[in-house]
Amino acid sequence: MILGSPLTPLEDILRNVLDWLHGSIGLSWAWSIVALTVIVRLLLVPLMVRQIHSMQNLQRHAPQMKELQKKYKADKKRQQEELMKFYRENNINPAASCLPLLAQFPVFISLYLVLRHFSKHPPPGDLSWLHGFVPNIAAHASSHWSGFVLLAIYVVSQLVSTLLMARTMLLVLPVAFVFFLVNFPVGLVIYWVTTNLWTVGQGLITRQMMPKPAPPPRRSSRTPPQEETPPEDGARDTATVPAPAAAPAAPKRVRRKRKKRGGARR
Amino acid sequence: MRYALRAPTYAGLAVVYAYRWTLGVLWGGRCKYHPTCSQYALDALRHYGLVRGSILACWRLLRCNPWSRGGVDYAEKQRLFR
Repeated sequence: MILGSPLTPLEDILRNVLDWLHGSIGLSWAWSIVALTVIVRLLLVPLMVRQIHSMQNLQRHAPQMKELQKKYKADKKRQQEELMKFYRENNINPAASCLPLLAQFPVFISLYLVLRHFSKHPPPGDLSWLHGFVPNIAAHASSHWSGFVLLAIYVVSQLVSTLLMARTMLLVLPVAFVFFLVNFPVGLVIYWVTTNLWTVGQGLITRQMMPKPAPPPRRSSRTPPQEETPPEDGARDTATVPAPAAAPAAPKRVRRKRKKRGGARR
Repeated sequence: MRYALRAPTYAGLAVVYAYRWTLGVLWGGRCKYHPTCSQYALDALRHYGLVRGSILACWRLLRCNPWSRGGVDYAEKQRLFR
């Protein structure tokens, strides 16, 4: 109750949207929850656009940031500080921030409360397939196979979204989380699955939209010495040999130098 | 006795740690500030107690939005309470 009272407006909105989706549009309760989730995520799309912009900006500065990381390799704290300073100086706005993440939390809690309320006073209608108001997904799974399917989809979607975020060490978590989820209303699992799938799709789109400029900057950082050396050679060559002969000779020399450097590093 | 007086602060710290070990791990948001928001909250609670620490932590969370610029920001260097 204490937690419920400040969230009542949000609960009312969610309940009304769910009612509208089910009553006016005619979706089943389960699909209404899916639609509701999509609406919530659509509202967050502007954030995603911002995120893409800032990631592009980050990639542009990637070589300099790598240098910074190398420089302060030993001192992780100092490394973080310097990185943050670098962001500030170059007007980079890191994509991730805490508030949008936490903002999802009240929505989740409200949805939980709404679904719990519904499950106490079930609305009339078909209750068999993926009925969103079964208070406990374990009970649902034991009575109908769709519960197991839903749980399986949840695990897969959570795994994929974790992988996309490149947090391999956390792969055990979704599996462990199933035991916790088992006591949730089915509708909440539907919400979670939909959000996860959306996150995956969003991540894939973001990846597609990102050109991978990681190799070009490396080349460009190497080109300055290349450009510096050929003119010297060229200056010497033009005095003795005609220019067209000098041009093919210069790159060959550079290539050999590169190989030697590579060998020395190894 | 000293520990008893600090009980509210410990409750606040427990909340932050609870977040860290559950939702923090699951959602895994990265913070744009250094130290991260949760670390800031822990520092603020330890230094300024439950009430002022919570206010500082909330203010920091509000600043950690997509339109802010982030940066280095330690709880000890706050200018809200002097």
